[in-house]
Amino acid sequence: MSLNTFDPAAAGDRVVIRWFVGLGAGTQPDQIPLEEEAVRKFNESQDKIYLALELVENSQAYNILATRIASGDVPDIIGPVGVRGRNAFKGQLLDLSELIKKHNIDLSVYDTELVDFYNLEGQGQIGLPYAIYPSFIYFNKDLFDEADLPYPPQTYGEQYDGKEWNMDTLRELGMKLTVDENGNDATSPDFDPEKIVQFGFHPQWNNQARNVGTLFGAGSLVGPDGNAQIPEHWLAAWEWYHAGMFKDYFIPHDAYVNSDAFGNSNVFNSGKLAMAWTHLWYTCCLNDVENWDIAVMPSYNGKPTAKLHADTFSIMKASKHPEEAFEVLLYLLQSPELTQAYGAMPADKTRQDEFFANLDKRFAETNKSKVNWQVAIDSLNYVDDPNHEEDLPNFLKVQNELDAFANAMRTQPDFDVKAEAEKLKETLQKLFDEVN
Amino acid sequence: MAATLQSSPARQPARRRPSRLARRERNWGLVFLAPWIIGFCLFFAAPMLASLVFSFTNYNLLKPGETSFIGLENWRRMVNDPNVRQSLGVTIRFLLVSVPVAMAVPLGLALLVNSRYLLGKHIFRTLFYMPMMVPIVAGTMIWQGVLNTQSGWLNRILGALGLPGPDWINNPHLVIPTLTLIGIWGIGNTMVIMLAGLQNVPTELYDAALVDGAGPFYRFFKITLPLISPVIFYNLVLAMIGAFQYFLQPFVIWSSTNGAGPNNASLFYMVNLYREGWAYYQMGYASTLAWAMFFVALLVTVALFATAKRWVYYAGEK
Repeated sequence: MSLNTFDPAAAGDRVVIRWFVGLGAGTQPDQIPLEEEAVRKFNESQDKIYLALELVENSQAYNILATRIASGDVPDIIGPVGVRGRNAFKGQLLDLSELIKKHNIDLSVYDTELVDFYNLEGQGQIGLPYAIYPSFIYFNKDLFDEADLPYPPQTYGEQYDGKEWNMDTLRELGMKLTVDENGNDATSPDFDPEKIVQFGFHPQWNNQARNVGTLFGAGSLVGPDGNAQIPEHWLAAWEWYHAGMFKDYFIPHDAYVNSDAFGNSNVFNSGKLAMAWTHLWYTCCLNDVENWDIAVMPSYNGKPTAKLHADTFSIMKASKHPEEAFEVLLYLLQSPELTQAYGAMPADKTRQDEFFANLDKRFAETNKSKVNWQVAIDSLNYVDDPNHEEDLPNFLKVQNELDAFANAMRTQPDFDVKAEAEKLKETLQKLFDEVN
Repeated sequence: MAATLQSSPARQPARRRPSRLARRERNWGLVFLAPWIIGFCLFFAAPMLASLVFSFTNYNLLKPGETSFIGLENWRRMVNDPNVRQSLGVTIRFLLVSVPVAMAVPLGLALLVNSRYLLGKHIFRTLFYMPMMVPIVAGTMIWQGVLNTQSGWLNRILGALGLPGPDWINNPHLVIPTLTLIGIWGIGNTMVIMLAGLQNVPTELYDAALVDGAGPFYRFFKITLPLISPVIFYNLVLAMIGAFQYFLQPFVIWSSTNGAGPNNASLFYMVNLYREGWAYYQMGYASTLAWAMFFVALLVTVALFATAKRWVYYAGEK
């Protein structure tokens, strides 16, 4: 799928600003009409600038942008782009500091940490805070009701059924909510792990190595001395996750996740998953579950971690029209259509209430429950620092190794997590050494 | 004799200037060929030449301005690169398994649909050819569903027969058998060419062999196979080159690892090339890999042609 709205006749002699979408959110079918609407509104309001939307499927977007950079056909604006995207195109993004100063942009509407999140060493201010996506637990209330189990807590620090809301409790609860075709749950001796029809827990679209590690707390693969390391708690998280799939059976492994019966990777939306750990952006794709709400993250060693995704728009350094591109960028940051399209909680605090009110309106007809969005706001107090998508030496190759590791973990029952993690560390060290 | 040969140029008719009509025909021929020639130059020859130049540079897609000439450094790197060794190993293993299958199965099917005893030949020919109409990516995605251990019908059938269903996609040892199995789905083209070859075998040879009392195996090995050997040779060359260029299926199935699959078991040569060029953006090195593969494929093809004299029978030759 790709789309290019550029129309030379409509553009006339206006400056054309090309906006490249695909490196993060923005390519789902539901999102595209809203993006087109935002573009249409901008173009109608302008006689100097013409905005063209260039949309590319996420799996191809990185290659296409790289090829375009090589050929000198660089778009002006990219986004929404997350941390991974900005790492992949390190050195290609424009430092906005001068433009921010020139246009007197008020940065006080954002948390200082969020502004600094986009101020990168050696690259400058490559974006303004736009969308933040805290993570938390989505839960299917009907499945809890069916199992006669209380819902997970919606306040940090609250207990679950008289126990600390931690990873052990989550595992136990997940097993009770995992059911085979005979109706036995995963705690029953009669449970048949070959015929599971409902799962308890799944890190939905969130199961790469660093993501899963962060379930047990923030960490980094780079030690204080710059060498490769595997944080102890990440190793524990990986072992917990692997056992959850192949020993305790409350987490679906890849074959289940990719099956038609479980929604072809959109497992929570299939209605056969009790709890999904994912980000606020998942509201984009939640259409078929009729009764859901959100809960807080469980803790590990007494500390909950709700990892954060943050997206923004950036201007490419090679843009021939940075002034005009900045004007468009400011428009995109404020566009209500885009906020709605991306399920994007605005980093601008003054716009957050309106955002949640819109979400309530959107789900009023499809969801029986009124969602407790305070969970999302509270989760911002437990974000991962360092961020799980932080830059790494030799980023592209390291990411490839991490993907291979996570893929093996998700698919191989006899995967020796500890031994493989040790091998991974050695591989990462070699890759770090290549660039140090 | 030498004198005769030496005198022959004098006896040859003087080279005449082509007639006006011949020149006109040649020019018109060139005009009609021009779209192809221009297309070939623009989209094949020029990129090939560019990639040859890139192979001696450190060209990075994201930093085209920093490109510099590095001589044979990429070629040296390639020789010591463990991923190149792994990818060559995977490709050769796949070639050894899949090419014989890709030759034998279409030949078997062609014999079947050419048999006078088969009812509804045309239906079967159409059915066997039909998968060729499905785009490779779509077909591969369908296969992903078919091979899913939980919901795929292949394991369901095995389960119904009381057999354990293997993990076709995630078991590193099954990667090559799985891809070979998927490959069988797309043998329609080869089957049709084999069928055309079979239908060109003169029937009087079979009649004569029957009169001489030759059995079906004798007829197959002594008449059919030799007479269709040019067709087999043609398909063999294509299958070998196809195996060296194998990319799409592993790339689609194991997209989460850029096509490398479990334990790099599907890191085919072309998958590795893609990874270097488009995942790591090292286009100079990727160009080197591409040219190395070109030479390997060329060598294998030349070797095949050299062996052809021993086993390929051309009716027009002595």
